[in-house]
Amino acid sequence: MKVLGITTQQEFYVGSKERNFRINEFLVVQDVQGDLIGEVVEAQTFNRYIPLNVYGDFIDASVIESMKALGYDVDEETIYVAKLRLLEEALYPVETGSDVRIPRFSEIKNLMLRTKIEDGLCLGVIRNTDTLYEECEEEYKDLLYTFEEQGLVKQKELPYIMDLKSMHHYPHIGVFGGSGSGKSFGLRVFLEELMQKGIPTIVLDPHYEMDFSDTPEYLKEEKKDFKGSFKCLQVGVHVGVKFEDLSAGDLKNLLDASSPLSDAMNNVVDVLFKNRDSYLSFSNRLQALTEAQEEGSIQRIQQKIDNAKNNDEKEAWEFRKDLFTQYDKTCPYNSVKGILWRLRRLYNEGIFSKDSRDIENYLKDGLLVVIQGSTRILQVYSTYLLNNIYHKRREFKDAQYKKAEAEYFPPFIVVTDEAHNFAPKGYESPSKSILKEISQEGRKYGVFLALATQRPTLLDETITAQLNTKLIFRTVRASDIDTIKEETDITSEEAKRLPYLRTGDVFISSAVVGRTIFARIRAAYTISPHTQNPFDELKMKKDEDDEKLMRIVLDKLPIAEMDILDTIREIEKDEKVSFTIEEFTQKLENLYKKKLIGREETIFGYRYIKL
Amino acid sequence: MNNDILTEIKVFHFNLHLADNILKWGLSMLDINEELKTKIIGLNEVITRKYSSILDKNFDLRKFLEENIGSILKLEKLTLNELNEIKRKGGIVAVDGSTNRKGGSFPHYIELFQGLAKSTDREVKDVFLTDIYTPLLSQEKNNPLEIIAEEEIDEKNRRLAQIEIKVALESAKRKKPFAIIMDGGLIRYKIYAKDLWKELVDYCILNNVILFGTIKDIKTQIIGEEIKNKNKDVKGLIYDREMLFGTLQYKEMLLIYDELNKKEQSGFSSGFIRSSLSPNVVGIDIIEEQSDLLIDMARLIITLTPENSRGVPLFLDIVDKEVKISDDLIEALLEKYLDRGIYERLFISERDKRNL
Repeated sequence: MKVLGITTQQEFYVGSKERNFRINEFLVVQDVQGDLIGEVVEAQTFNRYIPLNVYGDFIDASVIESMKALGYDVDEETIYVAKLRLLEEALYPVETGSDVRIPRFSEIKNLMLRTKIEDGLCLGVIRNTDTLYEECEEEYKDLLYTFEEQGLVKQKELPYIMDLKSMHHYPHIGVFGGSGSGKSFGLRVFLEELMQKGIPTIVLDPHYEMDFSDTPEYLKEEKKDFKGSFKCLQVGVHVGVKFEDLSAGDLKNLLDASSPLSDAMNNVVDVLFKNRDSYLSFSNRLQALTEAQEEGSIQRIQQKIDNAKNNDEKEAWEFRKDLFTQYDKTCPYNSVKGILWRLRRLYNEGIFSKDSRDIENYLKDGLLVVIQGSTRILQVYSTYLLNNIYHKRREFKDAQYKKAEAEYFPPFIVVTDEAHNFAPKGYESPSKSILKEISQEGRKYGVFLALATQRPTLLDETITAQLNTKLIFRTVRASDIDTIKEETDITSEEAKRLPYLRTGDVFISSAVVGRTIFARIRAAYTISPHTQNPFDELKMKKDEDDEKLMRIVLDKLPIAEMDILDTIREIEKDEKVSFTIEEFTQKLENLYKKKLIGREETIFGYRYIKL
Repeated sequence: MNNDILTEIKVFHFNLHLADNILKWGLSMLDINEELKTKIIGLNEVITRKYSSILDKNFDLRKFLEENIGSILKLEKLTLNELNEIKRKGGIVAVDGSTNRKGGSFPHYIELFQGLAKSTDREVKDVFLTDIYTPLLSQEKNNPLEIIAEEEIDEKNRRLAQIEIKVALESAKRKKPFAIIMDGGLIRYKIYAKDLWKELVDYCILNNVILFGTIKDIKTQIIGEEIKNKNKDVKGLIYDREMLFGTLQYKEMLLIYDELNKKEQSGFSSGFIRSSLSPNVVGIDIIEEQSDLLIDMARLIITLTPENSRGVPLFLDIVDKEVKISDDLIEALLEKYLDRGIYERLFISERDKRNL
């Protein structure tokens, strides 16, 4: 391998007659300035005897075959050319003609493996490093499996280890990639690693997919059990908000997340909400006020009091009268109605039926807590939850600085898929303000974000700018590629490859390393509950139904056409299942078509028989 | 991006240049063009007149060829088995040479020669030989101007022929090939490198190596001469390539009758082949002793020639490409290894310094 053509201090071409180049591999240039390390950013092959020439001679396959028969293989004239970019700029342009060689592991260890296994998350392998694998230390070998074309294979390349401790300086992670690019899969591997390290983590899971109970078929032997390491909690079922703990601010956030509040509505909450209110007391107050406002005036309410049939009713109306005189001027009827409506909606969704104490305890135990719910519910709930726990952590740290006593709250990582729903660009949303706050100052308090989205363009820019490490999977949309180019140090060559990446291949652009690494996510130890193909599911369901029916029908066979009604009655008696004649005939016909039962003609019409 | 800008700048400059010329020469340039046009029209008429008898539709050229020149044969490509047999017997060595000239007019120039013999057998390494010549150092130099031109060409041809035969011999001695293909007609070697040529022919006959040449650029006039013999109206030089253009079908060969070969007294048997879909033909000649193998070698040429090409076997094109030294490389070599003083004084022509 030699340096070719015109060179610069940063980039130049390298050619070889024997060895094909691979993108992202490292090569050492033996220049007069000393050995220089570079990375292949473009690879090409070229055969000057098989030109792509429309007007000139076009070589047909038969001639090439004939030449091969003569012993001369034109393919062997192929030249391999690579564009090499130096990792550090040289002082002078590299000398043309310099020899180029494959580096030894020791020479580039620092570029590849800065982190010890125990200090990092082992997410996958660095692509095109198989030549170095043999030389590397034992501790980096046999750590993982990857999926390749031929199926599951043992590790053959250097592992990619994400430095966990450096999150202290470079706190936030972005995961970008279109659907099917391996993004959710990458997130799963990331979470598995966090669980193994016992890092307290909150996962917002709108897809109900971050369950780590199932082991995939391919790794049955190397099963890893995460059972004690994570908890799946559904909003409204397992967790919620304890209404009595809410401040007016929390409540406004919640209501706002449900659907945006007007100024007047904010005012209603400020005025009407009392500390330590329960859901019941607050909603009753709102309800009573609206009823009073519906009467319209003090006189009409007084009339209601005067005409009360009993004492209870009288007291109730007096209560309304008090509210009316106190609040009618400051709280317009429509706003009170609006708050009441939003409050009831949240209540009906069950948010107020549970509290979030469990989550805090799990975090303190170093567990991964998966919060599940629809996107809208999660928007509402995460706003409350993140505000709550972030400020707990913050209070603890602030108290620590001030050397005051405070309850311990651990640092934690917030992970979410579809992050653009939680922190959208262009409009305000309550969950966005807390995420923004964490993105800007979470580092100080040890609260980190890992945000995944298939539409980085739709993610709030302030937050995107704070993501120091980015995992970029296959992305096809041009606008998203542009955003990625803007927000990362990915080169234009790499950006060109983005639409063609294989599922699970990823560019990792990290502020720690200062350059982009091309990696492949390892095979996950667990599997998403949604992996069953819906078409398989349909078939299975059908088979199941058939089986059930067969069990019932088998005893009754043979069934003659004229006995069908009797058979139905019998079945109804025995099995408590009823059919109409038409239905039952249809079902028998189906079984016959599927060759599960037979049918024969008799003099009295046909009858169904056992096979 | 940058390239686009560069192209744009180039186009822009070209336009400027054009505008500049038109302004400078004004109408006179258009006058010249008018004159040229008339001359070209005149030329067309003259040519038409010259070829009228031959290009006449009533004149059956194929019939004439079969009656007077040689037989027209339809050839088939070699089969895979035949090719394998050739491989087993040592494959094929193709020989080509190149010349580069750097400098001005006589005697201030340097000529570099390179010859290459390349075998289809990958185990046989390519044989390269180079030679260098400048008339500055020629010994027996008398100075009548008219001899010089011819002498110069002779010297060039001699050296090229010699070097080509030398590489052929060297390659053949490393490992005996089945056949050696020379670039161009064999007569050239006989004229310019008589002794070496005899050595090569002797070696080939002794060792059963087939020796033949393929001629991309046919300069013979065998057919024209015969036409002139038969038809006294036809005058002037008529080249075979003109006559054979489009006359043969793809894979057809015109095998020259022995009497005609004898008449030339070259000691070769020859023929013409249309080896591709292009209407041009290529020539082939083989030493007399192996004349019975001419047809098989013609088939070999057809086999190795891409259907949609100019008619030259791919392997010869490959050798041709590899033997060529680029002008840039030669310049770089001369600049690096000749003293600057010598180089500037002797070998930089006025033309080299022009940059308009």
